[in-house]
Amino acid sequence: MKRVFSIGYLSRVEGEAGITAEILDGKAVVRARVFEAPRFFEAFLRGRHFSDVADFTARICGICPVAYQMSSVHAMESIFGVEVEEPIRQLRRLLYCGEWIESHSLHIYMLQGPDFYGCESAWSDRQYLPLARRGLSFKKLGNQIMTILGGRPIHPVSVKAGGFFKIPDKKTLSGLLPDIERAYEQTLEAVSWAASLPFNDNDWDWECLSLRGPNEYPMNYGNVSSNKGAEKPMADFLEDVREYQVAYSTALHAEIKTEGPRPYLVGPVARLNLNHDLLPPEIKAAIRQCGIRLPMTNTHMGIIARSIELAYAFHEAVRIIKTYEMPGRPSACFEPRAGQAVWITEAPRGMLIHHYEIDGEGLVKRCAIIPPTSQNLGHMEKDLNHFMQMHMGEPANVLRKECEKIIRSYDPCISCSVH
Amino acid sequence: MKRPWIGVFKFTSCDGCQLSVLNMEDELPDFVSLFQVAYFREAGDMPLRGRFDIALVEGSVSTGWQKAQIIEVRERTRHLVTIGACAAAGGLQALRNWADIEDYKRLVYPSPDMIETLPCSTPVSDHVYVDYELWGCPVNCDELSEMLGSFLLDRKPGIPAYSLCMECKRKGVPCLLVAKSEPCLGPVTRAGCGVLCPSMERPCYGCFGPKEGANIGSLLEAFRNAGFSSHECVLLLDKMNTYAFREAGTGEGRF
Repeated sequence: MKRVFSIGYLSRVEGEAGITAEILDGKAVVRARVFEAPRFFEAFLRGRHFSDVADFTARICGICPVAYQMSSVHAMESIFGVEVEEPIRQLRRLLYCGEWIESHSLHIYMLQGPDFYGCESAWSDRQYLPLARRGLSFKKLGNQIMTILGGRPIHPVSVKAGGFFKIPDKKTLSGLLPDIERAYEQTLEAVSWAASLPFNDNDWDWECLSLRGPNEYPMNYGNVSSNKGAEKPMADFLEDVREYQVAYSTALHAEIKTEGPRPYLVGPVARLNLNHDLLPPEIKAAIRQCGIRLPMTNTHMGIIARSIELAYAFHEAVRIIKTYEMPGRPSACFEPRAGQAVWITEAPRGMLIHHYEIDGEGLVKRCAIIPPTSQNLGHMEKDLNHFMQMHMGEPANVLRKECEKIIRSYDPCISCSVH
Repeated sequence: MKRPWIGVFKFTSCDGCQLSVLNMEDELPDFVSLFQVAYFREAGDMPLRGRFDIALVEGSVSTGWQKAQIIEVRERTRHLVTIGACAAAGGLQALRNWADIEDYKRLVYPSPDMIETLPCSTPVSDHVYVDYELWGCPVNCDELSEMLGSFLLDRKPGIPAYSLCMECKRKGVPCLLVAKSEPCLGPVTRAGCGVLCPSMERPCYGCFGPKEGANIGSLLEAFRNAGFSSHECVLLLDKMNTYAFREAGTGEGRF
C-alpha cells in the first residue's frame, strides 16, 4: 500500500520549503523540498575585492548576517596573516552574542514556541502573548547590542577584515548592563520553562559536529569536533565533507564522506553536547536543577539547547562589557596577499563554513560557502524518516503536523541554505 | 472599524526586510491589533486566502513561477508596497543581469540543468504596478512603521526622497568625499539609514538606492578624478541596488 502526503509551504521557518512523504510497503521516505530561488553568491563574488565580501555575504541571511561577516573576515585575516588585538576579538564575540540572542529568542518565542501551545502564530492566542512579549524583550536587547556595535541589527556596517570601522567606548556599552543583567536572570529562569515542554521519544544514534574551543564556548575559534570522538583543525575539515545536489532542492546538501557517507547535525544541540563543560557554573547548576541530561540524545530538544545558549549569550555579553577596555585603534593594518583559507564560525544554527581563494590584487578568485542548514538537511530527512517509521499508523494530518514540528525544531534557515 | 487585512510576501531575498516587521519590537503588539495579519508565512500558519488591503512584498523576481506569483499577489491586493532593495531594485542577485546565467549555474551546482531560474533578477515594479516602494538593504524600521501608520491614516508617508548628504550635514558628520576623497555614494543615495556608514568614517555604499534625479555621471567623474578607474567606479555601484544605479546612470548596463 502506498500513502503520500505533503506540505506545500512550511510556515514559521525562514525561507521557502515544503516536504513530501511517501510510505510504501512499510518504508517511509521524507524529502525536504527546498524551492527557495538561488541567488548565486559564490558566482558573483568572483572578481570582487576582498573588502566587499563581508558586506555581500551578510546579505545571504537577514537573521544571521553577523555569522557571515565573522566567517568571512576571519578567513581573510587567515589569508593575509593578520593578528587581531584581544579587545577586538572580544567585541566580535559580543557582536555574535547579540546575534545569538536575536536569533535564538526569535526562534524560541516567535517561531517554535507556538507549536507547544497549539497556536498558529505568536500573537494569535491571548494566552501565549506574555511569552511572545518576553521573547520580544530579549530579542530587542540582542538587536541593541548589534546596533551599538554595528549601526543596525540586520546587515551591520562596522565589520571589516582587521577589526571594525569604529568601536564604541566603555561608557556606551556599559549603558546596556542593567537591562542585559536582568535579561540574563530571566533567560536563566526560562531554561526550566523550556525543559518542561513535552517532547516525543526520539533516541537514536546520530552524529553531531561543532567547533570546540580550547577554553571558551565556541563562536569564532576552535577545532571541528564530533560526538564520535574525531577532532580536526577547521582548515582541514573540508577534506571530510562532500556537498551534493538532489533533484528536489535548490539547496545543496552536505555529508561526511570519510568512512561511509553519512549526514550529521550542527547547531545548538551539537554545540551544547560537545561544549557543556565550558559553560559557567551558574548555568551548569540551572541545567542540573531542571533535570536536563547532557549530552542530549533527542534531536528535537533544540529549544532547550537554544534556551540554555540564550542565557549563556547574555551571561557572556555581561562579562565582555565588564572587562572591556577600548583599544587604541579599531582595526589592524595589513597588506592583502594571495592565498586561500577555510574558516568556520558558529552561526546561531551551527557551523558556517567559508572557503576563499584570493589573488595578488586582493580579488576573490574562488569561494565556497556551506551554511549550517545545508549541512542539516540530510540529517533532518533521516530524522523525519525515523519518526515516520515509528508512527506509520497515524492519520496523515497528525503526521503532517508532527513533521512540521520536527522541522521547526531544527530552526532551518532556508535562504541561507540556498544562497 | 474593520481592521485592514495585511499580507507579507517573500520572493528572492534574505528575509531581512520581513524580519524588520518583527524587529519593530515595541510597536509589534499595536501592529497586530491595528492590522489583521492575514498572511505572513515566516511568522504564522495562516493559509493564503482572500484579498488584502495592503501587501508588503519582499524580494526580487528571479524565477518563472515568481512572475505568475507576483501577478496573483497584485490581483489580491488593493495597495502593494515593496519592502527593501531586492523588491525595489532586484537586489544583490541582480548582478547576474550583467553576466551569463548558465555560467553562474555551472559554478554553483554540479547538475545545473536541474535549476530553473531566470537570466535576470528584476524589481517587482518591472512586473506589476507598485503603489509604494520602501528602499533600503534592509529597510529602516522607523520608515516601515511610518509607512504603516500613514496607511492607517490615509496620508502620504513622510519619508524623504533627498540624498544622504542632507542627513549627513544635519548630523554634522565631516564629508568623506570632500575632506578625504573617499568614494562615498552619499550624494546619489537616498537618505533613510540615519547616516550609518559616514558616522563610522566609512563611505556610503548605497543601501538605500539612487535618490530621484541622482546625477551619477558627475559623481563618477569626481571618483575618476580622485584616481579610481572606470571599472572600480562601476563596482562601487554594483551592489545591492546595481540594477537601479545602472539605470539611473547612463542607461541599463552601459557606462
